[in-house]
Amino acid sequence: MVAFIVAQFIQPAHNESGQVMPADISKTVSVPQVVDVVLNTACYDCHSNNTRYPWYAYIQPAGWILNSHIKKGKAELNFNEFGSYPLRRQQSKLKSIASQVSDDAMPLASYKWLHKKARLSKEEKVLIIDWATKTNESISSGK
Amino acid sequence: MGLAIMVIALGACNYNSTEVKKRGDTTKATATAALAASGTSVKDIVEHYLHIKNALAKDDGNEAANGGKALADVIAQFDQTSLTAEQKKTFADIQGDAKEHAEHISTNAEKIAHQREHFATLSKDVYDLVKTLGAGQTLYNDFCPMYNNNKGATWLSETKDIKNPYLGKTMPTCGTVKETLQ
Repeated sequence: MVAFIVAQFIQPAHNESGQVMPADISKTVSVPQVVDVVLNTACYDCHSNNTRYPWYAYIQPAGWILNSHIKKGKAELNFNEFGSYPLRRQQSKLKSIASQVSDDAMPLASYKWLHKKARLSKEEKVLIIDWATKTNESISSGK
Repeated sequence: MGLAIMVIALGACNYNSTEVKKRGDTTKATATAALAASGTSVKDIVEHYLHIKNALAKDDGNEAANGGKALADVIAQFDQTSLTAEQKKTFADIQGDAKEHAEHISTNAEKIAHQREHFATLSKDVYDLVKTLGAGQTLYNDFCPMYNNNKGATWLSETKDIKNPYLGKTMPTCGTVKETLQ
């Protein structure tokens, strides 16, 4: 009990940035509004510089677990920094977005369990897969 | 030391000219050997890439993971001193991407399908690397038309015989040699 109370005072720094993002994906490739909405709802909490923190983020150790997911997610892919990746890595990321969504590997099951809106419909999945695949093809041919 | 510098300089000259590429091969190999002490070479990258390839052909996800770990390490420690500016640019583009694919292969021993997805892109990276820097050995660029819902994928092999790393034991000899890299 004491440990639990003490733990509450150890709050990780929040992943929040009010900065303008020059390397944002929308500045590098075309991101239609409909796609942007899905990315924002289902991906950005862990794959961008801004997380919308849920209430349980303030209760430890839930907040710590969340924090480690965000750290890992951002290292893997950060939509706000996509433009700074070498072209080859951009292509790999788009390929992985399509395959991870198609395989239901992303968004994570634990995230979907707590975030109803992140449970993508069949149409939303097709939308993301098509967008990622076409964008990948267009930057490959523009090489 | 003087000899090493000369070898590097010779190598650098050859890199600039595609006409003398064939003749430059021996020089390139010597330069690679001379530099092996300070960092890793293309030879190390190819060796561990082939380790993954052979493991996947045997449907061995654990062994592929070991190869992935070793490959990520040698990519990180690659010695770039002998590269021309142009080659450095290509390497910079390939390095981060290839390392990430190797890492994913190393952490997904239980998910061989996922390892193969990353292996497909990794193969393209290593192919481009070998095309730019030379492998110091004969490699075959093979193509399997059936993988990934008939979209197909390529891989590099040290043997002319087909040992398919994408379909493994279910279809070990599916594929053809598309190109021989000397």
